[in-house]
Amino acid sequence: MHLPRGLSFRLAASILSATAVVFVLITAVTYQMAREALLNGANDNLKNLTRATVNRIESVLAPVLRVPRGVAYEMEEGTLSEAGMWQRERRVLDDNAEIYGMAIAFEPFGRSKSQEYFAPYTYRSPLGPMQTNLGGPAYRYQYMDWYQIPRELGHPIWSEPYYDQGGGNALMATCSVPFYHMVEGKRQVAGVVTADVSLQWLKRLVDSVMVLNTGYAFLLTSTGTYVTHPAEGVPFNETIFSRAEEHNDANLRSIGQDMIRGGSRLVETTSLHTGKRGFLCYAPLPSTGWSLAVFAPRDELLAEVNRLSLVTGGLSAGGFLILAIIVISLSRTIISPLRRLAGAARAVAEGDLAAPLPEVRTHDEVRELADSFAHMQGSLATYIKDLTVATASRERMESELRIAHDIQMGILPKLFPPFPDCGEFDLHATLNPAREVGGDFYDFFRAGEDWFCFVIGDVSGKGVPAAFYMAVAKTLIKAVAESTKKDLAAGPDPGSIMTRASNDLAQDNESCMFVTIFCAMLNMRTGEVRSACAGHNPPLLLPAGTGPAQWLPVPRQPVAGAMEGVEYSTASFTMAPGDTLLLYTDGVTEAMNPAQELYGEERLSHFAESKRGFVNARAMVEELERDVTAFANGAEQSDDITILALRYLGANHDAGNCRA
Amino acid sequence: MEFTSEKSGAFLLLMVKGRMDTITAPEFEAECVKWLETGEIRLVADLSGLEYISSAGLRSILSTAKKCKAKGGDIAFCNLSGIVAEVFSVSGFSTLLPVLETREQALGRS
Repeated sequence: MHLPRGLSFRLAASILSATAVVFVLITAVTYQMAREALLNGANDNLKNLTRATVNRIESVLAPVLRVPRGVAYEMEEGTLSEAGMWQRERRVLDDNAEIYGMAIAFEPFGRSKSQEYFAPYTYRSPLGPMQTNLGGPAYRYQYMDWYQIPRELGHPIWSEPYYDQGGGNALMATCSVPFYHMVEGKRQVAGVVTADVSLQWLKRLVDSVMVLNTGYAFLLTSTGTYVTHPAEGVPFNETIFSRAEEHNDANLRSIGQDMIRGGSRLVETTSLHTGKRGFLCYAPLPSTGWSLAVFAPRDELLAEVNRLSLVTGGLSAGGFLILAIIVISLSRTIISPLRRLAGAARAVAEGDLAAPLPEVRTHDEVRELADSFAHMQGSLATYIKDLTVATASRERMESELRIAHDIQMGILPKLFPPFPDCGEFDLHATLNPAREVGGDFYDFFRAGEDWFCFVIGDVSGKGVPAAFYMAVAKTLIKAVAESTKKDLAAGPDPGSIMTRASNDLAQDNESCMFVTIFCAMLNMRTGEVRSACAGHNPPLLLPAGTGPAQWLPVPRQPVAGAMEGVEYSTASFTMAPGDTLLLYTDGVTEAMNPAQELYGEERLSHFAESKRGFVNARAMVEELERDVTAFANGAEQSDDITILALRYLGANHDAGNCRA
Repeated sequence: MEFTSEKSGAFLLLMVKGRMDTITAPEFEAECVKWLETGEIRLVADLSGLEYISSAGLRSILSTAKKCKAKGGDIAFCNLSGIVAEVFSVSGFSTLLPVLETREQALGRS
């Protein structure tokens, strides 16, 4: 059986999703924290690297600067002769490998009124050191930057780097230091000492700065020109501002402005060279006013963090997988008996009470459920078995009761009119048992030449016992009447018939049942009626004329069958042609409507009077039945309803004569 | 049905209250049988509190009367009223069994 999105799915899903969230959170937080820690460390490293590189450059540049400065001091002291100057220059070159050339340039006409340019210059050439005197109409050095700027500023300056064409095609920069002499008490510029310094080492040094894989360093002059840069063609050709302009990079522009101002910062930016995001750390070279920048790519810095996160994530994912397997298999273990139990429950619901139940080995709630279910299955099986037996037994009983009903109805005379030849009277009767069988009965039969016997009775109680008693009572009355009719010359005597019948009924009547009976004999010739009443409702007599319906004044005598030795008397009256006698049991007068009202004797007598002009006995009986049913208005019939109507028509009626 | 009883001379007086129909009728018989078994064989039932009696009630009374008789005792009824008196009358029970007007008459029997 497949249960999509069942309990195990939901269980596993909720546990696993919660776990996944926790794992992801842990991984994310770990990554964040590690990244911050690493970035902080990396930034410190970057700053240190920048500072160390600056220091290394400074450690070379500062001594270099001291050389022209020393020469400048010597010039101010005025101790050197012209030859001394040449010698000094030569010695400087010999002593300082990084100095490619040195010039001591005097103010025009500063050395001698006759000589405009005096600037002994010693430089290295492929053939060895060479010496020359600078200046001339073609080279008016007093207007050159290397001369004019320190002269005007009054302190040493470094020139922009340049490639020296003559001096070995090397990257050079010139350091110019002005020197002074006193003229009329005033300190005046006397000249400028320059040293051409090879910067090849600087380029190598800066280029050798390796940061991770794609990190790099570059050097800017105080005007923003690149001195070194890993990109081909950038050094000396481009400034940081031209690059910023070219790429429309405002951030780079502001970085450049800060760099040439001598700022020192660490900023996050995107490298135009590698296109990577990263951190740029820059610091000034104090002695030159240049600025060194080192770029570290972020992704490479974070590679470690990423690796760490990857490991954490991998571990989390692995743990999650293991957890998932455990949770799913555990929930399957828990749920699978439930599923099998559900299957068994369905089988049981479909009627298979012997459906095998899953065996649950654990001692938990599922086991309890399975046990309860097994108990229920057992109880259900027992119950259904009992029910089947009970139903079968009830069906048998019902079938027997139906047959009993048919038998009971069969022993009542049902042929109407009973004696079509007899024109003296018209009779009709009906019996409606409240249950399948009842205790009411009626009967009628010829009792001799002139006499016609009719009986109505009501056994105490209802159902099968009453039905038995009714059959006995009815049979007995007829038997007694038949056996006595020949003995009585004076005609039949219902009182004595009743006395005998009651005595017979009372004998061995252990159940103490009894029966009310009204038994009457009609003399068809004269209309005389002899009757005996054993505790039965008196019949209603509806006279043929205009008189009111009246209850027959029969003597009150005990019910039949109650005790032995009860004597019944006979009463007698005469019916006029057209008179109707209505016999009934208390099922009529005690019929109840939903408001708990009784049909009652008054209603009965009104009904009878309203039917004075009735057609025949059958119509009378059937209409009374309908009237009672209408009155009950759906309320359950609590007692058998029996009605018998007899209309005396007279001896010489047109319809015929029994005796004829 | 509710029963209260008291001893009065040779008789046990039983006051009956309620309705004696198909459902409750056996209670009356059971109550009387209970007294019969304790040796009280002369019973007087005061039916002034009885509101209704059905044929099942009559049967119960008849059965009780027979049981009293079998023990050598009897049962008398008094203070019948309304529909109960009518049922006793119509069914002829008033002639079958000793039925008296008042309690004194019932207890004054020989």
